Amino acid sequence: MEQAPPDPERLLQPAPLEPLGNPDAGLESVVVEEADRPRDEGSGDGTMTENNFWLKKIEISVSEAEKRTGRNAMNMQETYTAYLIETRSVEHTDGQSVLTDSLWRRYSEFELLRNYLLVCYPHIVVPPLPEKRAEFVWHKLSADNMDPDFVERRRIGLENFLLRVASHPILCRDKIFYLFLTQEGNWKETVNETGFQLKADSRLKALNATFRVKNPDKRFTELKHYGDELQSVISHLLRVRARVADRLYGVYKVHGNYGRVFSEWSAIEKEMGDGLQSAGHHMDVYASSIDDILEDEEHYADQLKEYLFYAEALRAVCRKHELMQYDLEMAAQDLASKKQQCEELATGTVRTFSLKGMTTKLFGQETPEQREARIKVLEDQISEGEQQLKSKNLEGREFVKNAWADIERFKEQKNRDLKEALISYAVMQISMCKKGIQVWTNAKECFSKM
Amino acid sequence: MSGGPPKALPSTGPHSLRDMPHPLAGSSSEEAVGGDSTPSPDLLMARSFGDKASALFHQTPREFHICSAASDGSTKACQDLILPNGGTPAGTSSPASSSSLLNRLQLDDDIDGETRDLFVTVDDPKKHVCTMETYITYRITTKSTRVEFDLPEYSVRRRYQDFDWLRNKLEESQPTHLIPPLPEKFVVKGVVDRFSEEFVETRRKALDKFLKRITDHPVLSFNEHFHVFLTAKDLNAYKKQGMALLTRVGESVKHVTGGYKLRSRPLEFAAVGEYLDTFALKLGTIDRIAQRIIKEEIEYLVELREYGPVYSTWSALEGELAEPLEGVSACIGNCSAALEELTDDMTEDFLPVLREYILYSDSMKSVLKKRDQVQAEYEAKLEAVAVRKEERPKVPADVEKCQDRMECFNADLKADMERWQNNKRQDFRQLLMGMADKNIHYYEKCLMAWESIIPLLQERQEAK
Repeated sequence: MEQAPPDPERLLQPAPLEPLGNPDAGLESVVVEEADRPRDEGSGDGTMTENNFWLKKIEISVSEAEKRTGRNAMNMQETYTAYLIETRSVEHTDGQSVLTDSLWRRYSEFELLRNYLLVCYPHIVVPPLPEKRAEFVWHKLSADNMDPDFVERRRIGLENFLLRVASHPILCRDKIFYLFLTQEGNWKETVNETGFQLKADSRLKALNATFRVKNPDKRFTELKHYGDELQSVISHLLRVRARVADRLYGVYKVHGNYGRVFSEWSAIEKEMGDGLQSAGHHMDVYASSIDDILEDEEHYADQLKEYLFYAEALRAVCRKHELMQYDLEMAAQDLASKKQQCEELATGTVRTFSLKGMTTKLFGQETPEQREARIKVLEDQISEGEQQLKSKNLEGREFVKNAWADIERFKEQKNRDLKEALISYAVMQISMCKKGIQVWTNAKECFSKM
Repeated sequence: MSGGPPKALPSTGPHSLRDMPHPLAGSSSEEAVGGDSTPSPDLLMARSFGDKASALFHQTPREFHICSAASDGSTKACQDLILPNGGTPAGTSSPASSSSLLNRLQLDDDIDGETRDLFVTVDDPKKHVCTMETYITYRITTKSTRVEFDLPEYSVRRRYQDFDWLRNKLEESQPTHLIPPLPEKFVVKGVVDRFSEEFVETRRKALDKFLKRITDHPVLSFNEHFHVFLTAKDLNAYKKQGMALLTRVGESVKHVTGGYKLRSRPLEFAAVGEYLDTFALKLGTIDRIAQRIIKEEIEYLVELREYGPVYSTWSALEGELAEPLEGVSACIGNCSAALEELTDDMTEDFLPVLREYILYSDSMKSVLKKRDQVQAEYEAKLEAVAVRKEERPKVPADVEKCQDRMECFNADLKADMERWQNNKRQDFRQLLMGMADKNIHYYEKCLMAWESIIPLLQERQEAK
């Protein structure tokens, strides 16, 4: 190891503070060695190796939503929506899927699951939940949480969340997740027993806390920046899209007025009457066609929203990394100052002004025994600190390695998903144009007969 | 006017005559003052109704229902008052597509144009700035083989008030005919710039249409005043000469305006009156719908223009996704351009035709009223004769003359109405088909744009 016994020459140097993620850093060999160990160390007792492959045999769906009334912790009446989660075993003798479990969960339980995952897998870009409240709505959409359309979109979103977790190479092996799908009662208690809340670093919760990291990892800085930008651009996009939808809705609906007026006008015309009447009908069709079009578009908006929230998950990983780097640097700094003290004691020179220096001057030299004892104490602390630093370094490297692997996975997934989303958006637009052409061609036909 | 619906008809006639500005009254300030100088209570009422209607219209911008006939009073108001808030939405017209209406009109004129011997066009508007006033003149080019025209071709410059003079002259000298409407004289100040390119172009087209309608008319096109209007070097001199004639004819029409009830208005004319009421009402609604659609489309356009670039901003962040996102951005840009073209075309081609027909219905109503007056005159005389019948065995000559006059009137008007119905049918067929075409064209452009980016998106996908 490079952390050799204190070498007087090196002691004067500041502790190595290379960024955690630097692949050229000296501890490469250790990392390779460590790679053989289960990677998801962070998940701790949650890992279920025996379940490593169960995800391949199972289908998950959120098949139903139901409005319920109950009492909350404050014993107040509350209304909430429960979602039916069904799991089916696919690998059955005749290839038919068989229902293995079905249970009800509410949104807050999904939230608990996700919070648990966030704490236990800080190096993973944890899939986001669908929005708690409808955001980026335009006038026709209801912002009501109990609105059937909203509940339905959330049902799809929750199902998507479960599928994302289930298809994640690491998260899918989590025991709590497995129990979430299979054990209705006592699940909350089981989650809380893992003590994940204790592991949660409260510093991470302070959303805007920035830690003065001296030596940030460029990759993570860039990623964090990307996360910020992505979040702002998607939210801008969603805002404008909502307005675009609103206006488009207006354009179509106002055309509906032609339907009525043409029909009324046709009553007083002789030759033109029939043409006007049927053209009016096509205008009605045109006006009502927008409802379906915009409903489909809402699906696209949901896809974008997922990535809006993914951006936040990305930032969470970056924040965690930043925090670890910060801790590492603090430990290194601490170690360096201890080493300096030790050296001062050993050589009798005072490099910096200190209280000890003052007391020495005022009360005379300590006895050699005293000094030896203090040096001893410091040396113990130093070696402890070095151990700590070493383990922090290891931990950090491990984190970076795992996090980066997951980020790479995430990037691929993102590119694939968003491309698909764009394609389906384009397809929606094409179908809207075709519908428009159809309706106006029909109307033109009617006008031409006038 | 806001009272009983059918009675609205007789009361508007005298107004439109009385409100007609004297052709010579203040040649410099005519456009500014004109018929508005003595607003009648009815007119004011109509205004306030219209204002209220349009205010409502704006206060609830997300209400897409446009009422067509809530109460007769308010809708009549809307039809009399050519929506002040409408006009041409500022800054949306592009001169590039302005020739399409002209082409359409010319095509349309050629349908029965085989025996045509008179061609008139209005073009080349010019702004004149004098110390007293600023106005626009238009060049009127006439080509004709008719004997009344000494030269094969004339070119004169006329301003709006000259057109107005011509129309008044036609109304006086051809009282039995339906005179095509002129574009509205007044625009609400501050809403539309009278000297803006779009406004002048819209008016030029309307004036051109006005002259073409007269040119097409078998009687009006031979009118002496029309001839003068097309050929006279100095129209003002001629205007002064014509003064005496005006007062005479004016009086003869005016003195029978009493509230006389017709005994038997021929059914066909009664039906036309009712038809026109509904027609104008429906057109007024269509006009408002069309304007509202354009307004919504422009707002949609504003949002689209912001929407597209967001994808570009996003693409700057991405690697693999950059191209697809940029593609979507460009695509939205193309759709915006297509939408702008659509709104411009609708503003330039669709709305003016509606306006013309709304005004036409007013012209028609006023000529119907004159017809009623002539009939009233005849009936009154006939009644008087009936009283004295025992004394004199023969119907006096002046009553016969009166009857002739009425019958001539009926025949002229009937022919004009038939012609008008025919034109109307053709015009609206073309107008509405044009609307459909423009929308189809718009969707086709958008379709092309979106279809073109699909391969871009998919190709990348497969390449991976």
